[in-house]
Amino acid sequence: MTLLELEGVHTYYDESHVLQGVDLAVEEGEIVALVGRNGVGKTTTLRSILQLTPPREGVVRFRGEDVTSEHTHEVADRGVGWVPEERRTFGYLSVEENVRVAVRSDQDFDALREYVFDLFPALERFREKEARNLSGGQQQMLAIARGMVGDNDLLLVDEPSEGLAPMIVDQVVEALREASAETTMILVEQNFPLAMDLADRFYLLDHGTVVESGPTADVSADDERIRRYLSA
Amino acid sequence: MTDSSERPLEVEETNRGTRTDEGWLSEYARDHVVHGLVIVAFLVYPVVYDLLGRSPLASEAAAFLPGLTFMIAVLYLGLFAMSFDFVSGYTGYLSFGHAAFYGTGAYAVVLATNGKIPGVPADTPFVLTMLLGAVLAGVLALAMGAVSFRLTGVYFAMITLGFAQVLYELVRNWGYVSPNPSEGATVDGGALEVGVPYVDSLGLAVGRLTGDSFENVLGTGFDVSATMTSYYALALVVVVCYFSMQRIIHSPFGKAMIAVRENEERAEAVGYDVFRIKMGAFAASAFFAGIAGALFAGYSRSVSPESTYFFLVTADALIVTIVGGIGTLAGPLYGTVFHEWLGDVLSTEDDGIATYLRETVPEGLLTTDVGGVTFADVINSVVDGRAPLYLGIVFVLFVLFVPNGLLGTVRDRLGGTVAERTGDVLERYRR
Amino acid sequence: MTGDVVALTAAVPDVALLADAFGRFFQPSTFARLVVEGLGKAAVYFIIAVGLTLVFGLMGVLNFAHGAFAMLGSYLGGVLVVVALAGGAGPIASIAFFVVAAAVVFAVMTVVGGALEVTLVRPIYDRTPTYQILMTFGIGLILEETTRIAATLRGVQPEPPWLKARGTLPGFLETRYDVLGANVRGFYVFEIVLGVLVAAAVWLFLTRTLYGLYIRAGSEDPEMVEALGVDVRKAFTVVFGLGTGLAAVGGVLLMWDPLWGASVLLNIEVLLYAFVVVIIGGLGSFKGTLVAAVVVGVADSFTTWLFSTGIVTFSGLSEVTVFLLLVVVLIVRPQGLYGVEEVGGH
Repeated sequence: MTLLELEGVHTYYDESHVLQGVDLAVEEGEIVALVGRNGVGKTTTLRSILQLTPPREGVVRFRGEDVTSEHTHEVADRGVGWVPEERRTFGYLSVEENVRVAVRSDQDFDALREYVFDLFPALERFREKEARNLSGGQQQMLAIARGMVGDNDLLLVDEPSEGLAPMIVDQVVEALREASAETTMILVEQNFPLAMDLADRFYLLDHGTVVESGPTADVSADDERIRRYLSA
Repeated sequence: MTDSSERPLEVEETNRGTRTDEGWLSEYARDHVVHGLVIVAFLVYPVVYDLLGRSPLASEAAAFLPGLTFMIAVLYLGLFAMSFDFVSGYTGYLSFGHAAFYGTGAYAVVLATNGKIPGVPADTPFVLTMLLGAVLAGVLALAMGAVSFRLTGVYFAMITLGFAQVLYELVRNWGYVSPNPSEGATVDGGALEVGVPYVDSLGLAVGRLTGDSFENVLGTGFDVSATMTSYYALALVVVVCYFSMQRIIHSPFGKAMIAVRENEERAEAVGYDVFRIKMGAFAASAFFAGIAGALFAGYSRSVSPESTYFFLVTADALIVTIVGGIGTLAGPLYGTVFHEWLGDVLSTEDDGIATYLRETVPEGLLTTDVGGVTFADVINSVVDGRAPLYLGIVFVLFVLFVPNGLLGTVRDRLGGTVAERTGDVLERYRR
Repeated sequence: MTGDVVALTAAVPDVALLADAFGRFFQPSTFARLVVEGLGKAAVYFIIAVGLTLVFGLMGVLNFAHGAFAMLGSYLGGVLVVVALAGGAGPIASIAFFVVAAAVVFAVMTVVGGALEVTLVRPIYDRTPTYQILMTFGIGLILEETTRIAATLRGVQPEPPWLKARGTLPGFLETRYDVLGANVRGFYVFEIVLGVLVAAAVWLFLTRTLYGLYIRAGSEDPEMVEALGVDVRKAFTVVFGLGTGLAAVGGVLLMWDPLWGASVLLNIEVLLYAFVVVIIGGLGSFKGTLVAAVVVGVADSFTTWLFSTGIVTFSGLSEVTVFLLLVVVLIVRPQGLYGVEEVGGH
């Protein structure tokens, strides 16, 4: 079943026309990678889905329903989680409190808290610590956990490996694999091999439109059609 | 410099320059048609007001038009508001301590005239003490700016406000100013003259009671009162100041100020010395604020901490700047006209709507009692002296619905400054 | 400025006076009195500033109507106590009624603040911060003038302070008591108690309630909170309402305070002092506001004493000190004592 659909989405930052007609669809249960150079509109696509930067034209459908005129918190309430670029954990809140913000009012916080610490045991001993004291990798795990606890069906993950040491990246990838067992995922990732490794399908963006797409199994970074969009 | 946003402006300038073969003088004149019209309007206003006062519409004129003393306030407060807009509207740095410069100009004049500034004789001409006050204000701005321009946004606004409040408290409690510093100080000597220093025939004494007056001017049977003389003398200074500020804004330096406002990081990246531009703009705006304060002191001959250094003086400038249009320079003057007009017609100080209603509404209606409240009560409570209330309401409505202010909105409609557009329109009609 | 120089030369102290005062200063009783009085003033500064910091912390709006809300609170509280206590009441009844009045004013003004946020402030969030300053300043102007009209119509002078309301202060708070070796007026102790209660209540709200959590998270990153499914706009309304209510409670306290009193002048006076405290502490920081209130309160009490001894003959010493503190903090540490470096980026 199609979980998310974007149809002819045009998004602007003031006068700059960032998304120039993006079409894409995400099926339930899969991991879809958005790849492309810096500034082609990957993050903006995620922001448009969540209505953080509402599209001026086009439609975003979640479970077949148009969400384009909704507020961000309403879209999030439908079951869309966000793991933003640079993690954006609440530095002056404890790890527990970071999770607490994301828990919906009808959910059981205690159960979800234990679920998070089961998923990411590394976080448990910092539960009372302010998040700004965590390492980059731990903050990334916290951000992923925060994106998942709201009983979300779709997780938007933006640059999870950015600025992390290779060993930590492996841990984060492991965490994402665990998460993907529970939810559908859109992954924005600069590291092309990593993205192809994790995802089932990919969309390649350039200048605000989708230029290539397909299953990740049959592509590699050496492909001519991929390479000319990725090299600077 | 290859900044893309600069280029359209340059192209426009070049077009304007090569548009005709006429001399620059006539082009200059055409670009300033609107300025001329405004100046003429200000020039004839006292005469028209005076004539109306002798016509059958006398009481209506007194009730609904601003009196001359209010128009004089328009001049010095308008100049102050324009100087506020000069830095706040064009560099984007809200100068919340701007009253400090106004106060410095005002107190400098009073202290100098009373012989209390060492090295400045008491009989120094007003024009020179005015310049002295303005320079002091400029120097003060450099000192304040040196530390304040390390901050931006709200923090800049707050530190300048902090400086001004410190000065306000100092002046309020500084016994050297006068025996009763919290009440302010007054000019002891004779009338102060606007004109060429040390040349008696080229000076006009200002002040409501001390100014020069002329009877039966040029045999027209028309008398020029002391107030009217003050009005014209002050207007002369304000016009000179306005054109000076306008010149700066249209110079490369002014372009740099706007570049700082639009995007400071980019302005720095394309090679502007941002700090010096901000300091220069701040000092220049303080200079003109100092002149405004000096004019106020010269005309009213008495200053108080409340009417000069206090935060509300800045707040008034802020209000009229928003109503007139922030970042338009001339807008704040129109905002001040509106402010003073409202203040006049809603008070009884110089006749106004309340006086008019009390005199024209039949006695029976005035005392008609509706639920314990008479019409006269209504006049007293919602009209008389209620200008600040209506000003507040108008202000909020402007912030909500006319955020660009009067002049800013007109410019948006016309697609350029009024002076430019009028020039273009005239050009079209001549062909 | 030449002003500073002459003011300072005029303030050159008399040696004998100085020695005398120096001795007195280190008498435990003087020192303790100054500290207790300083804490009393600190409590007032804290209560009038804490709402301002909450609103700025979450919304990034510097609320220029804050002083007007305190002013309105002082009159509403004044009306309530004048009606209830005019005939005289016992100490306990007086205090109890004061608390009831403060609670009623808090409730009413919280609703008023919320309504103002929805109708007037919300439409301009997407503009530059300047317009929020302008809007709230305009609201303050209108409230001040409306209050002036209403007071005048009811035969109350809008300035100087409303003596009838102040007169309901029970006598036992006017008399002096020995507290910790200091001989101080009972009212200072009352203020300290009230300040501690308000601080504790706000702190509990922020740390122990879900809404407090949303507010703390939103102060760091409102967009992130929104993306986690929280209606941040509603939180804005609630916080603006609470900030208004807290300002009004501050006003109710000022109505009894001999140094302030209910008057329309509170609009600007409270605003200026609240700014000083909030900026010294760091805009948006609860802890910073608390510490800054103590710093400003104690500095105020010591400089006031310094003037009263005749060591310094400059009568504006206390006010100048307070604003100099603001300037110095902004120069040395622009983000304030506990502010986050990045707060300007809202």
